[in-house]
Amino acid sequence: MDNASKTRRLLFRLGTVLILIGICAVMMIVGRGHTVYFDNKQLEYNGTTCECPYKIKVLVKDEQVANLKAKERGMATTIGQNFAMTLKITQEKGGDEVVETYQLKLPYNMDGIVVNLPAYLEGLPEEAWMSEFVPIATESTAEDEEVPGGDEFEMEDLGDF
Amino acid sequence: MNNKSFGKKVLGFVQDNTVPLMFIVICAICIPLSGFSASYLINEIVTRMGRNIFLILCLLIPIMAGMGLNFGMTLGAMAGEIALILVSDWQIWGIPGVVLAMILSIPISVLLGYFCGKILNMAKGREMITSYIISYFMNGIYQLIVLYMMGPIIPIKHSSIKLPRGYGVRNTVSLLNMRQCLDNLLAVRVGGVKIPVLTFLIIGVLCIFIIWFRRTKLGQDMRAVGQDMNVARDAGIKVERTRIISMIMSTVLAGFGMVIYLQNMGNIATYSSHSQIGMFCIAALLVGGASVDRASIGNVFLGVILFHTMFIVAPKAGAAITGDSMIGEYFRVFASYGVVTISLIMYETKKRKNKSLVGQQLAQAQKEEEAQNNG
Amino acid sequence: MNETLVDRNNITLRDRLKNMVASFGLPRLIIAGFLLLLFIAAPFVGADFWTQISNTVNRFSWNAIMVLAMVPMIHSGCGLNFGLPLGIISGLLGATLSIEFGFTGPLSFVMAILIATPFALVLGAAYGWLLNKIKGGEMMIATYVGFSSVSFMCMMWLLLPYHSPTMVWGFAGKGLRTTISLEGFYDKVLANFLQINIGNLSIPTGTLLFFALLAWLMWAFLHTKTGTAMTAVGSNPTFARAAGVNVDRMRLLSVVMSTWLAAIGILVYEQGFGFIQLYMAPFYMALPAVSAILIGGASVNKASIANVIIGTFLFQGIVTMTPTVMNSAIHMDMSEVIRVVASQGMILYALTRKTEGTK
Repeated sequence: MDNASKTRRLLFRLGTVLILIGICAVMMIVGRGHTVYFDNKQLEYNGTTCECPYKIKVLVKDEQVANLKAKERGMATTIGQNFAMTLKITQEKGGDEVVETYQLKLPYNMDGIVVNLPAYLEGLPEEAWMSEFVPIATESTAEDEEVPGGDEFEMEDLGDF
Repeated sequence: MNNKSFGKKVLGFVQDNTVPLMFIVICAICIPLSGFSASYLINEIVTRMGRNIFLILCLLIPIMAGMGLNFGMTLGAMAGEIALILVSDWQIWGIPGVVLAMILSIPISVLLGYFCGKILNMAKGREMITSYIISYFMNGIYQLIVLYMMGPIIPIKHSSIKLPRGYGVRNTVSLLNMRQCLDNLLAVRVGGVKIPVLTFLIIGVLCIFIIWFRRTKLGQDMRAVGQDMNVARDAGIKVERTRIISMIMSTVLAGFGMVIYLQNMGNIATYSSHSQIGMFCIAALLVGGASVDRASIGNVFLGVILFHTMFIVAPKAGAAITGDSMIGEYFRVFASYGVVTISLIMYETKKRKNKSLVGQQLAQAQKEEEAQNNG
Repeated sequence: MNETLVDRNNITLRDRLKNMVASFGLPRLIIAGFLLLLFIAAPFVGADFWTQISNTVNRFSWNAIMVLAMVPMIHSGCGLNFGLPLGIISGLLGATLSIEFGFTGPLSFVMAILIATPFALVLGAAYGWLLNKIKGGEMMIATYVGFSSVSFMCMMWLLLPYHSPTMVWGFAGKGLRTTISLEGFYDKVLANFLQINIGNLSIPTGTLLFFALLAWLMWAFLHTKTGTAMTAVGSNPTFARAAGVNVDRMRLLSVVMSTWLAAIGILVYEQGFGFIQLYMAPFYMALPAVSAILIGGASVNKASIANVIIGTFLFQGIVTMTPTVMNSAIHMDMSEVIRVVASQGMILYALTRKTEGTK
C-alpha cells in the first residue's frame, strides 16, 4: 500500500471516530431527560406575594399532564432543555380560561425541576420560581438488595427471555 | 426408479433438517395444548423477533470465519449493559439514549472482541469451548467492574442505580425512560398485532450489510480462512488478523443487539441479563437449521420463530399435560440445551465422516495408480 | 573473557528461572502465592488460623473425589471432563433411591453407592460411546451433555414417583424438594469416623481416608497393564493402535471410570455438606473440579494424583479463605469475583497451551 492511501485511510478512520464522538455529544444534549414538577402554591419572594389562581391546566405537546387547583402539584417528563408548556389559567371559580404558551430553558444538571407557576407567571426572577427536586431516599429497599454471590457457580434464574 | 430417488430425496431432506423438523413437531403438539389465541401468539412472536434477531445475526460472522458458535457474544452483551447503565445514570432518555448507548458500547466491545480473538487464536481447533470459558471469565471481570468499581472509580450519581452501601449497581436498573422507544416509533398495528417497523428496518439494514460484507475482500478472506486456514495462509491472507476482526465485528454487533434487546425489555437484570443470552441465541440459530460451520440469515429468522414459539407455549402445554407448570419451564431449558447438543454431535460426526471419506478416496486413488503402474 | 563467562552464567540462570516458571505455569504461581498471602494475612486480620485450616481441609475432603474423577479421562486423551454432571446425576439417583427404599444411618450411604453404581456404569458407557463417535470435539459436547442431562433430570425429579415424606414437597405429596436434609441418613458418616479435634482444628479423618483409598486405587490402576495402555492412548493414539491397544475401548473405560467417580464424589460431598441438592445444583459443578485439577498442575492431556491433591487444596483454600480474610481486611467481599476470575482464568490458560496428542 502506498503512503498516500495509507494517510487517506488513517484520515478516514479518524473522521469516523470524530463523527461518532460528535453524535455522542449531540445525543448527550438532545437526549437529556428531565422531570418537571408544577406547583400551584402561594409563594413569598422579597416581599412580593404571589397569589395562586383557582385552577391551572398544564398541557405539554397538546396533552394535558396536570389539572392543578391551589396547593397541588403535577408533573411531566421531557427530553431536552427546551420545554414548552401551555397553561390554561382560571383565576376565579367560574371565570374564563386564559390560554398562554410559555418557553422554559431547563438547566442541564437538574433531574427534577420544580416550577412554581404563580411565581413564574408573576414574572419573578428564575431563582424564585425554579428549584431542584430532591427525592427522599427510601429506606425500604435495603432487604431486596441481595447481590450475586453465595454458593458455587449458581445458575441465575431462568426467567423470561 | 423415479420413486426411489424421490424417497431418497425426502430422506436426505429429513436428515439435513432434523432439528427444525423436530421443533415444528414439538410446536405443532404444544400450540393446541397451550390454548393461546392466534393473535396473542403472533403478537408475542413478532415482539420476540424484534428483540432477538439482531443479537442472533451477530453469530453469523464468526461462523463464516470458521470459528464455530461464538459463545463469546456474551462479551458484547456485557458491553451493551455497561453502556446502558452509564446512559441511564446520565439520564439520557429515549432514542438519543439508545443511540448513545450503542456508540458507547463500541469501544468496550472492540476491546473485548480483540481480547477474545487473541485468545481464540491461541486455542485453534477448540474455539467453542474456549469462547465458552471466556464468557465465564469475563463475567467475573464484569462483576468486578459493575459491583465494585462503579461508584468509587466510575462515577454513578443516582441512588436508584447505586447500591445503598455506596458502590456497586443494583440488581435491576430501570430503563423506563427508553422502554420500547425504538419499537414504538413508527410502530404499525395490523389486526391487533403491533409491528415494530423501525426495529425491523434496523434488522433489515444489518441483513443487507451481512450480505454485502460476504462479497467484500474481507468477507471473502474470512470464508477462505473458514474453509482451510493453511490454504488461506498460503494464499497470502493474514489468518490471525482476519479471525480477530471477525471476533471484533461479532462482539460489536452483539453489543448493539443487547441494547435493542434491553430497550424492549425495559430493565436490566444487572447480573443475569447477559448470562443466558448466548445460550439462547445459539439454540435459536441451531433450531433454524444452522450448523456449526454453516448458517444463513434464513436460519436466523426460522430459528427465532420456531424456538420462541416453543418457548412461549411450553410452560402452558407442560401444565396441560402433567398438571405442573414447572415441567414446561424445565422442558424448554432442556430443549434449548438438547438442541445445541444434537447439533454439535451431528457436526462432529459429519466432520469425521468427511475426513474418512477423503481418506478412502485417497486410498482408492493410490490403488488405481498402483494398478496402472503394474499394468 | 571473564565478562562473557559471567554473561553466560547470567543467561543460564535467567533461562533456568524462566523455564521453571514456564513449566510450573505463571497463573499457577500467582494462585499459589495468593493463597500463601492469605494464610499469612489471616492472623493479622483476626481470623483464627486453625479454624481456617479446618475449613480448608473439610472442603478439601468434600471435593477431592470429584477432582479425582478428572484423571482417567485426561489420561485417555478425552480432555477435561466437562460432562461431570452426568456422573453427579447417577450419584443423586443413588442417594434419593437409597432414602426412598427406607435405608437409614451409615447403611444408607453404602446403599447409595451400590444403587448409584449401575446408573453410573450405564450412563458412563453411553457417554463414552458418544465421545468415541466425536473424537476431537469432546470438551464442548461433554459440556452440553452435562447441561442437557441436568435439565432433563429437573423434569424427572418432579415426575418420578418418589414418596418418601422426607424428600417430597409437603403440600403436593409429590415432586422432590430442591434440598433434602441428610440428618438421620448419612450426614457426616465418613467425616465423623475417627474425627480428630484439637482446639479449633478438626480433621474429618474418615473422609480423607476414603479419598486416600480411591486415590491409591487410581494410582495402582494407572500402573497396571490396562492403566499404562490408557495413558498410551492419551499421549499417542497412533502408537497405541499400532501396539495393538483397542483405543475406543480404553477411552470408553476411562469415561465410565470418570462417571462412576463423579457419582461417588457427589455422595461424599453430600455427606460432608449434609444436604442433597437437586435440580439446577449440579449444573456448574464441573467447573470448580476442572479448574482445581488444572491449578494443581495438570494440563489438558496430563494429570497425576499429586495434581489432584495440590489442586483441590489450593482451590478450596482460596474458596474458604478469601471471604473471611477479604471481609475483615478491606470490608469488601470480593471473594466471588476472585474465585471466578482465578478458576476460569486457569481453565483458559490450560486451553490455550499447545498440547501434543489431543487437538
